[in-house]
Amino acid sequence: MKPLQIPVEHQTLPNGLRVVVAPDSAAPVVTVGVYYKIGFRLEPQGRSGFAHLFEHMMFQGSENAAKMQHIKLINSSGGVLNGSTMYDVTNYYEAVPSNALERVLWLEADRMRALKVDDENLRNQRDVVKEEVRVNVMNQPYGGFPWLDMPPVAFRNWANAHNFYGDFADLDAASLADVQTFFRTYYIPNNAVLLILGDLSASDGFALAEKHFANIPAGPPPKFADPTEPKQSEERRGDVVEKFGTLPAMAIGYVMPRRRTPDWCAMGLLDQALHGGRAGRMYRELVLEKQVAVEADGGIDDIFGYNGPTQMTTRILHKPEITSDVTLAEFDAVVGEIREKGITEAELEQLKVKWRSDYFNTLEGGRGGYMPRYGLMHLLACFTLFDGEPQLVNSILDGFLEVSKEQVQDVARGYLKPENRAIVFRKPSAVSQEAA
Amino acid sequence: MATQVSRTLSLVPDLAKEREVRWPQRSQSRLANGLEVILVESRTIPKFHGELFFRSGNAAAAERAVSLAEMTATMVRTGTARSTSRQIEERLRGVGADLSVSAGQDTTAISFAGLSDHAEPLLQLVSELAREASFPAAEFARERRQKLEEVKLERTQPGFLAGERLRKVLFEKHPYALVSPTEDQVAAYRVDQLQTVYSDFYTPQNAILLLVGDFEAAKMQTEIEQVFGSWSGRKPIAQDWPVPPAPKGRRVYLVHVPGAVQAQILCGCHAITRQHPDWIKLGLTNSLYGGAFNSRLVMNIREDKGYTYSPRSAVNPLRHYGYFSVSAAVRNEVVAASLTEIFYEIDKLRSLAVPESELLDAQNYLTGVFSMGLATQSGLLSQISTLALNELPADYLETYRQKVRALTPGDVLSAARVYFDSADMQIVVVGDREQIESQAALFGELEIYDARGSRLP
Repeated sequence: MKPLQIPVEHQTLPNGLRVVVAPDSAAPVVTVGVYYKIGFRLEPQGRSGFAHLFEHMMFQGSENAAKMQHIKLINSSGGVLNGSTMYDVTNYYEAVPSNALERVLWLEADRMRALKVDDENLRNQRDVVKEEVRVNVMNQPYGGFPWLDMPPVAFRNWANAHNFYGDFADLDAASLADVQTFFRTYYIPNNAVLLILGDLSASDGFALAEKHFANIPAGPPPKFADPTEPKQSEERRGDVVEKFGTLPAMAIGYVMPRRRTPDWCAMGLLDQALHGGRAGRMYRELVLEKQVAVEADGGIDDIFGYNGPTQMTTRILHKPEITSDVTLAEFDAVVGEIREKGITEAELEQLKVKWRSDYFNTLEGGRGGYMPRYGLMHLLACFTLFDGEPQLVNSILDGFLEVSKEQVQDVARGYLKPENRAIVFRKPSAVSQEAA
Repeated sequence: MATQVSRTLSLVPDLAKEREVRWPQRSQSRLANGLEVILVESRTIPKFHGELFFRSGNAAAAERAVSLAEMTATMVRTGTARSTSRQIEERLRGVGADLSVSAGQDTTAISFAGLSDHAEPLLQLVSELAREASFPAAEFARERRQKLEEVKLERTQPGFLAGERLRKVLFEKHPYALVSPTEDQVAAYRVDQLQTVYSDFYTPQNAILLLVGDFEAAKMQTEIEQVFGSWSGRKPIAQDWPVPPAPKGRRVYLVHVPGAVQAQILCGCHAITRQHPDWIKLGLTNSLYGGAFNSRLVMNIREDKGYTYSPRSAVNPLRHYGYFSVSAAVRNEVVAASLTEIFYEIDKLRSLAVPESELLDAQNYLTGVFSMGLATQSGLLSQISTLALNELPADYLETYRQKVRALTPGDVLSAARVYFDSADMQIVVVGDREQIESQAALFGELEIYDARGSRLP
């Protein structure tokens, strides 16, 4: 087995901005990311969807780059860009030919320094975001299933339980003042990490970071709301109407252990045992063997990138002639078997080989292939913001490869139990089908 | 305003000197049995990515049944002469591999990725799937039922319904018009049909094996000869279809989805394939129109007007024909307004030469993004697959950038005039007719269909 030795260096600027450089000259391309430690989980109450709407605003104009300039300058340098809002972080990233590196850093620094947006920009992006919600959720079969359906059923703390895409009334209520307050509170260098990957030297990376970012003033450390959940004592259930889809669906989510604990590593391999493609027990039993389901997949969403309550979730679309009770009973049989009998040494070995292989894919891939090393960037960012240790990209795998089969069974027993889970049933309204 | 912009732009750092883009060596060979092999070393991660392509897909089987190559592909991993479905899946997991078998209109592919230190067993398995699939009866019954549910489900997706209708309109009696089977067509699939497709299509004379990754090409070549050398089989006889006529005159096709809260617009017209000499010219023209974030269409209907989240345009190359398309999911109230802007931007590109500076930006964009593929194994695989499947010139990667850079505003103007066939553009709108019918009807003679494809009065 070849050991993993990704070159990673990091420094912190006097204003608190952390800078991580991962040089790799294989191709004349650099990937740049800026991650802010604020996601939709901790956005302000009464402003559901705001973290995401705000992400859109970051493309609407900054101190020295008016609306359109940012996008135009990246595209016309031969690069691509985007941003995304997650539970606990929001990122902005670019991949460009390496000769455009300084231009990208200048642009990212410019919008970290000051946002220059007006009411017209806000109205425009509010409309764009509403169409985004319609195209991804409201006008799609199984839109938002289960990622938007599950939180209000599973969680009690508003931080974890609210609509992350945002209620339209909340989006409408968002003002320019909210935008500037949010910016001043969270978009400060001491709440961010800058990542530069690819065709550059570490010393050049740090020098350029210093040149463009060092004079951005730090802000008071943000006060984050507490995302802790009250202890759950019984199974939780909820129903959601499926407006377009033809098949009944359900999602079962179990609350995960804390990151970077031995249980967390064991859950990673348990996830692989249950949801590892067609060899995974869920697909094998529910789709291939018992044939109650048409789809059975799921798992831990972004295992390295969450920093608060989260779940391992199984997503099932089942045959219409099979009741949800029968489907759930078959699901429970799969869970019951692994709780009672655990897994064999041979299965564990397979899981580890696949886990290692998937990890390498994560490093290189992501975002549909147009963003080289998105995955490595994401891991470096999360390990820096949550753990202060970007070097974990080289060692995090070890903990997973040390898990024993007894630990896998222990976490199956400890976490896969009714009082640790929530179930969402997505039921077709059938009306549209009969009409068609 | 003008002075302010120039002051602002002076702060923007200039681009540094460009580092040379150097594409890696491709080692290309043909085994005695006809199998074409292309190997590329890339050591970004200790893995390799591969494709075993067959130059036949659903179109080549269209006379027998719709999407038959795809159903065949689905069955390939469910059993071989030596392994059950479960054994296949566990062998894959045991070597850390991902694998899928799929078919499009022109191609069937076994796509795979695995760890370099487990390469040989993965190649063995790929070979077994390509040569010894056994089509077990019970697996077939299950997969056919799965397929039945899938085809019902896809008829609830606006994007699918729009794409399906546009292909029907553009290609009529040609197999490219057939995107997906009906429930009855799925129910009528027989296992012997799949076996025939398998023995006709899955042959070394019809195949290209492409590997990109962390290996030594010479060693890999030896391993491939050992694994695939004894395989045999002829090239299938290719079938000719009459040329599909390009539709004349704008027409509007509304696919009625009761209760839809948004309208999916998809417009299209015939264009060209990748082998056409105008391909790169049209690619640049498309990039200026709606193929990039910084394009006219996106700036207009998203960043200026806020009608939509994800407008885009594309040139879609099938092997024998290509088509140009424009898509946007817009709110119900602005269907007509969006179509007006879509055509305004098309007609503007057909009428006025693009400014030099805008052209230069688009040239930089295309040439820059083209080289992103160099940075990852999967990116390289995708670039080299395109080359191999379309039989593009050997120096295509190396010369692409200079060809893009050589284009002029006049080239873009002529490409837009020839290929953005504004007057004959076919317009599909998927949504609730109550909300959008009167707006859609402003743009041409209207036909209305339901999600199953039946014409409505």
